[in-house]
Amino acid sequence: MRIGIDVGGTFTDLVLIDDRTGKIHYTKTLTTPKNLAQGVVTGLEKVLRLAGASMQAVAYLVHGTTIGTNALIERKGAKTGLITTQGFRDVLEIGRIQRPQEGLYDLTIDNPPPLVPRALRREVRDRVTAEGTVLVPLDEASAREALTYLKGQQVEAVAVSLLFSFLNPQHEQRIAALARELFPEASLSLSSELAPEFREYERTSTAVLDAYLKPVVARYLERLVRELSDRYGALDLRVMQASGGSMTAEAAARQAVAIVNSGPAGGVLAGAFIGKLTGDSRLITIDMGGTSFDIGLVEGGIPQVTSDGKFEGYPVKIPIIDVSTIGAGGGSIAWVDLGGALNVGPVSAGADPGPACYAMGGDQPTVTDANLILGRLNQDYFMGGEMALDPARAEQAVRRHVGEPMRLSVRDAAAGVVRVVNANMVKGISVNSIERGFDVREFTLIAFGGAGPLHAAELAQELGITRVIVPPYAGNLSALGLLVSDTRHDYVRTLAMRQAQADATRLHQALRELEEQGIAHLLQEKVRRQDIVVSWSADLRYEGQSYELNTPVDRRPRFTAADLKALINRFHALHQKVYAYTAKDEPVEVVNVRVVAIGRSPAVSLKRQADGRTAGARAALKGSRQVYFPDGGPVATALYERDRLPRGARVQGPALIEELASTTVIPPGCGAVVDGYGNLILTVKGRGTSRASARGQARRSRR
Amino acid sequence: MKRRVDPITMQVIRYAMEQIADEMGYTLVRTSRSTIIKEIMDITCAVFDEQGQTIAQAHHAPMLLTGFEITMKELVRRFRPETLHDGDIIVCNDPYMGGQHIMDLMTISPVRFKGRLIGFVANLAHQQDMGGSAPGGVAGGMTEIYQEGLRLPMVKLYKKGVEDQEIMAIIANQIRVPHVTIPDIRAQVSCNFVGIRRLKEVFAKYGPEVVRGCTRMLLDYSESRIREGLKRLPDGDFMGEDWIDNDGVTDKPVHIQVNIHKRGDKAVVDFEGTDAQVRGNINCPIATAYAAVYYTMIAVVDPHVPPNSGCYRPVKIEAREGLIVNPRLPAPVAARTNCSQKIVEAMMKAFAGIAPDRVMAGSHGQITTCAFSGYHPRTGKRFVYTDIQGGGAGGRWCKDGRDGQDSHLARFMNTPIEAAELEYPVRIERYEFMTDSGGAGRFRGGLALRRDVRVLHENMMLARYSDRQEFPPFGILGGKDGQKGRLVLNPGTPQERRLKAKGLEGLQQGDVVSMQVPGAGGYGDPLERDLAQIEADVRDGKVSVEAARRDYQVVIDPAGLRVDLDATKRLRQGA
Repeated sequence: MRIGIDVGGTFTDLVLIDDRTGKIHYTKTLTTPKNLAQGVVTGLEKVLRLAGASMQAVAYLVHGTTIGTNALIERKGAKTGLITTQGFRDVLEIGRIQRPQEGLYDLTIDNPPPLVPRALRREVRDRVTAEGTVLVPLDEASAREALTYLKGQQVEAVAVSLLFSFLNPQHEQRIAALARELFPEASLSLSSELAPEFREYERTSTAVLDAYLKPVVARYLERLVRELSDRYGALDLRVMQASGGSMTAEAAARQAVAIVNSGPAGGVLAGAFIGKLTGDSRLITIDMGGTSFDIGLVEGGIPQVTSDGKFEGYPVKIPIIDVSTIGAGGGSIAWVDLGGALNVGPVSAGADPGPACYAMGGDQPTVTDANLILGRLNQDYFMGGEMALDPARAEQAVRRHVGEPMRLSVRDAAAGVVRVVNANMVKGISVNSIERGFDVREFTLIAFGGAGPLHAAELAQELGITRVIVPPYAGNLSALGLLVSDTRHDYVRTLAMRQAQADATRLHQALRELEEQGIAHLLQEKVRRQDIVVSWSADLRYEGQSYELNTPVDRRPRFTAADLKALINRFHALHQKVYAYTAKDEPVEVVNVRVVAIGRSPAVSLKRQADGRTAGARAALKGSRQVYFPDGGPVATALYERDRLPRGARVQGPALIEELASTTVIPPGCGAVVDGYGNLILTVKGRGTSRASARGQARRSRR
Repeated sequence: MKRRVDPITMQVIRYAMEQIADEMGYTLVRTSRSTIIKEIMDITCAVFDEQGQTIAQAHHAPMLLTGFEITMKELVRRFRPETLHDGDIIVCNDPYMGGQHIMDLMTISPVRFKGRLIGFVANLAHQQDMGGSAPGGVAGGMTEIYQEGLRLPMVKLYKKGVEDQEIMAIIANQIRVPHVTIPDIRAQVSCNFVGIRRLKEVFAKYGPEVVRGCTRMLLDYSESRIREGLKRLPDGDFMGEDWIDNDGVTDKPVHIQVNIHKRGDKAVVDFEGTDAQVRGNINCPIATAYAAVYYTMIAVVDPHVPPNSGCYRPVKIEAREGLIVNPRLPAPVAARTNCSQKIVEAMMKAFAGIAPDRVMAGSHGQITTCAFSGYHPRTGKRFVYTDIQGGGAGGRWCKDGRDGQDSHLARFMNTPIEAAELEYPVRIERYEFMTDSGGAGRFRGGLALRRDVRVLHENMMLARYSDRQEFPPFGILGGKDGQKGRLVLNPGTPQERRLKAKGLEGLQQGDVVSMQVPGAGGYGDPLERDLAQIEADVRDGKVSVEAARRDYQVVIDPAGLRVDLDATKRLRQGA
């Protein structure tokens, strides 16, 4: 038995899997911001009760937390100092000198300010060369002076990032030793440990983020572990990372940067897991909540990972699941601009005051209000009936802020809001896939988050996608992602080895050393030897390029010149695939080697029920409502209760399938079937390539 | 919810068009080879209607964004619709035919749907080499466009989808790195093919009447937003000016002047008072001059307007032929950024009289570019290491200027120190802000950058252009000027000497070149600056204790680095 706990801003979601029966239990409880542990305990009690189990039977817990993300957004991290090589303390603030894209014309938009002000950035005399040799030995007096100064300034955390420390970390390590002697109470983050790769700004940024968040994250996890163990005795608590792997709470407290933004990663991971059940290995995951729309991509069953990510505008050089976010959610506010055009977002009414129909003081029209007006949401069954929606307020907001300025009826205005937000999301998904070199039409869309299933089918129609999956409990899928994650550690070392000097033995040795480090780490975390899986890869590029391609390396006991040649050939092939050309005559450079050490969690095997082909949807039918769809409507639309839909049941659009935290819209001409795991599998028919056929379809379905 | 021409469908079509431009951009970045396209992203992609009006553009370099306006007018004038076929690709890099500079190659494709011309897709990419006397095209001292590389007029490189091998052979024969440039040109072609396919899909989905109606509405919409914005600003005639230090051939300063005549919802911008074209290569082709004017208009009047041809309608630009902003053949133009950034600066100064709460003080106003070249000690092969830097950005009505960043028309990235040293025989010895380089003001100008590069190999050369070493970045509305730029050889040694801003120089092994780019001007009266901000600046070493006293009349206790309120009061009363 294991439990996933996802603590979000409003709700704490829990998932318990009973590995013996393959049964899964979900629950949610309110998050308790003052002491998050309190909500966690309430949730644990609730989910254990549901499963009829006690904590003794639980093997481990995996925790997803936004503590790091929130501290960063709210700028509530620790007071942090930075130590750099003399002459380079401003690298953190200069960055890559490029203003953000949003600031192309807008003179007021800047990159986020450095997390360490200039006064707390101190320099030491030292210099390591591009060959990794010491040109200027570390002047220890300058290091002591820097540390003493930062101590005097009462910083809580110190980041150290010296030039070329990824090739030769000895100066950073020496400063760490001095820090332990002179300033033992400060927490330390070394760039050579966190991101031993070239590009000083990105490496420094990673170390600074880690330092900034570490005291906050460590305090939180210590308290949580203490409160849980006081109650339940010693437990195995793991924490989710943005890479999609988890690690022990102790490791997370030492490497805080790894857990930022782990929530969206959990969603993509859960999407990949569901895809395995349904036989879909190429997926686009969309998670539409109240304020944002997260897009992830799964290829060959594996979530796409990047090492060039950013958190809140700050670069991080650690592998993370590649999730892109646009400001479109249920709470996104619709507004008419000076030129008379309708826009939706990026400003959101959030959870408080929320959409106008929440009747909690919000008077701005949102996507949720529009969906309510169009008949897609049930005013009496939002959040399973916990919250009544007020259609009059929704109509008033839409009329005043959209309908009147645009001279449209409330209904047309609401339809316009949905069309505009959909068009924005379609653009986001499409551009995102193209950027990574994929054709979106070859993928299956998997939708979750409270608002995802409402929009998924129409997005698929626009994108030319024919298959959509809405998993059960789509409103809290991230928590499931926690449970399917493995324990994971990532290691990297820069070799900067040109083809002419390429040395198979050196490459191999670096990989073996990293592997040993990884295995030792996992064993220390009590992972069993037989559960450890290690994979090797290397970042290669054509000499002179500024982009590397991560290329898998075969794990062998020995590595010969022929193996090296095979690796280079593999790089050429990969380059052809990703960049659509190859240059076999040009010399190749091995920039970094990477090792991923994974401690496999036991596979989650859900219980599959037989496809009751004869099972009808009738039992779940609870009525009918007038709903507006693009190119037509109002249409009498059947209403189903998802929990009562048996496995194998088929539903023909137009239909709405309602559940506790979400509603799935099935437009006319589309259909859905419930599979053996409770997933809704939608078959989406495109709206055709001309107006005539789109209209024809709508007409046919209305008959 | 029908598909018809209405403001909502217009917005849906707008997103679809922007998506096409973005997809083209990613295709180009993905399939090209040179770093200037892949990392610096000196490219742009756009979608046009059948009249050549810009409907949507991918968000890359602003200088290129607005430049297509002139090119497309020229193209529509030269080619009758019936001569434009499916699969045709027209290439052009001629600054005298709507181009930017020779390195910027444009590929333009007509798109036909059911037999009719429905529009164009196009992209522009900065190619690594286009021939000419200097590798990569970056050098001062040229006096004719003919030295700057192969100048392609508007010619069909692809006819009905088939590459013209003869034209391609002429191009390949004329450039230094055909193994890079030719594939990159083909990447530009495949980028257009993506755009063509997607544009046809949109027409098929919505029908030609709806798309055309919506794109017309979209252009009118952008136009109305700019008109609405202009209407809210006071009428009058406003002048702004700036100077370029020199053209790299003589030492004579060059005067740039813009005159904005703002009436109701319209504006005329003329360049009377601007100097004639010069011998050196800082001349600014008309497309770049237009880009500078439109960029500033959008930034000041409505920075979030969908940028398309509609935005340009309320603004008339008058630039006489023969001025530096509209040169005649055979004026060279490779270093045009020294001029185009000054047009923006002069526009900002003029707008300070109309809309003081929307403008930025003078910025670093140029792009310092140093190309270190030689034969690589490891490979024996020729190498060029191009170091491009930002600088101070001007103080603003609402906050300080950005310290050491790109600005206005340029948006690009620096080269990481570790990347440069791993690749080239150089060592970078400092990269930092320069204290007191930001002009004082209620909102301080951005700080200058200093980057010191030591060359580690013999017989290296330094080609460069830079500016704002004679005329400082100006403060506005009471703000003080920022620090000028300098290039210094071997600073702090007996051999120290100033280098000319533009030129070519041999370097000795071990020489240090100190690039000290300009800072930026301040905005508003320094005496109105918040004391806490002054204190923070002094604590951060961005402003010295002495400068706080001199420029802000604030006394800082040097020990605790706190404002001494009493002493400050006495100083200000005594003054």
